[in-house]
Amino acid sequence: MAECRITANETLLEIRNVSRQFGGLTAVDDVSTTVKRGEIRGIIGPNGAGKTTLFNLITGELRPGSGKVLLNGEDITSLSPHVICQKGLGRTFQLTFVFPEMTVLESVWVGLYSRKKHRWDLFFSKAERSKDVMEEAIEICQLVGLEDRIYERASNLSYGDQKVLEIAMALSTGPSILLLDEPMQGVGPKEADNMVELIEKLSKRMSILLIEHDMDIILRLCHNLTVLSFGKVIAEGTCSEVGMNKEVQRIYIGEEM
Amino acid sequence: MTHRRTFALGSLAVFAVLGLLLPSGIRSLVIQIMIFSVFAMGYDVSLGFTNQCSLGHSIFFGAGAYGAILTIMHLKAGPVLSLFAGLGAGFFFAIVLGIVCVRLSEAYFVIVTAIISAVFHLLAMDLTWLTGGDDGLSATIPPISLGFAKLSLYNPLVNYYFVLLFLALSYLFLERVIKAPLGKIFIAIRENEKRTQFLGYNVLGYKLIAFVISASLGGLSGALYALTLRYASADYFSFYWSVLPVVWCLVGGLGTLAGPWIGVAIMSLFQYYVSAWFTYYLLLFGILVLIVLKVSRKGILGYLLAKGAK
Repeated sequence: MAECRITANETLLEIRNVSRQFGGLTAVDDVSTTVKRGEIRGIIGPNGAGKTTLFNLITGELRPGSGKVLLNGEDITSLSPHVICQKGLGRTFQLTFVFPEMTVLESVWVGLYSRKKHRWDLFFSKAERSKDVMEEAIEICQLVGLEDRIYERASNLSYGDQKVLEIAMALSTGPSILLLDEPMQGVGPKEADNMVELIEKLSKRMSILLIEHDMDIILRLCHNLTVLSFGKVIAEGTCSEVGMNKEVQRIYIGEEM
Repeated sequence: MTHRRTFALGSLAVFAVLGLLLPSGIRSLVIQIMIFSVFAMGYDVSLGFTNQCSLGHSIFFGAGAYGAILTIMHLKAGPVLSLFAGLGAGFFFAIVLGIVCVRLSEAYFVIVTAIISAVFHLLAMDLTWLTGGDDGLSATIPPISLGFAKLSLYNPLVNYYFVLLFLALSYLFLERVIKAPLGKIFIAIRENEKRTQFLGYNVLGYKLIAFVISASLGGLSGALYALTLRYASADYFSFYWSVLPVVWCLVGGLGTLAGPWIGVAIMSLFQYYVSAWFTYYLLLFGILVLIVLKVSRKGILGYLLAKGAK
């Protein structure tokens, strides 16, 4: 895995005035934000604020109507998702996306293999024979804590473990930044705790952009926050700065109480 | 996975022995089963491994058959060369079609491939100067010269083992591909296309590779069929030949390579024996398909393998 050294204040991902409309609805409206190396940035906001759409715009699944996305200073706005992934951007999905019929080890292996330059071995080598790749796959399983279950089929894992497996798969592509879409959604409190620890561990190696609803988790993990509402950035800054923001208080506290 | 392999190699061995034992009538039926098995196994790469439900495989079967017959008629090619011409014809049409079709999502893929195959059927019917239309083209198949001996496909035993050889080669090739990284990527695409894309794979490219492999075997099968019957007709492009491989694969078991052989065998035997006393035998076969799928969605071999794993 590519160890990325944490150098302060170096921008890794920059989102510049990105907008996207669906028919008459502006789902993401002129959003700008940055993620620095080693930073964990949280994206919060009420349902339908455009958080997942923003992820889809960054990862190339959707094309922005206007604006730019830069990774390491390079414009990735019009690239395909698989190219963006090869450039070091990994993601997980809100709904769990694993390969149900594959084992944990195989799933991670698929991600690792995508980094290889393949030629004829694509057709004729035996997948299991590439020792170095297999060892790396096991390493990743150890890192996320799935080492006891590497021969288990993904469909037999608990929901929480499937979420962890998704992160392992995203890691296998060697990302320098990881986009996590509600990794704690629907998992138990203990599993959520493990997930928080895992994300903390990962943040030492890569930047993380995190969508999450649970404020406790956000406050524990994130260095900085971006608050979206109706597609617009309404506040940005450290957790305490954002907490003081009137608009944010109105949305979060005003409506909930 | 090893059970699957045992089944396939076992079946090949059984085929090899049967060739010597069977009376000539049944032997030609088994030849047909082996030819269709190549087609079915190829189709499995498309539907069973990458989830591309094509209804256009009659194009590749037909192109393979004509590729073989036309090279023999006009270029005086030998049987082996004509087989590769058939395979190449399938390969060529698959690339042209695949580039258009693989980007279509599921239902659209099914519909567009079906429509294109209908167009090919009409073309084959109309271009009588090339295809002979409905009457088809007959050819005299030259013997295979091995240097020390000449083998004629008119000898049923030679024909039998010739077909068996290519069934075995196709199987070994596919088994290799499925075990190789490519096969794992195919399975990943089947399991979750979007996730595979976000793992850094050009999913459309890999789907095209699967489609082309699948179609090339369709072409090979068409060529074997044409060489065995010494005949190709526009009928090979008809919708019937597009639906057959779907049925074979569903009955035999998707994603098992050799499973579709069971589907082919059952359907061929059914046709051979039941059609003799009941005209509407396909109706009965339809019921049989429903029963198989009711018991297990994985088809016969898929069901047995799942049982064996427990």
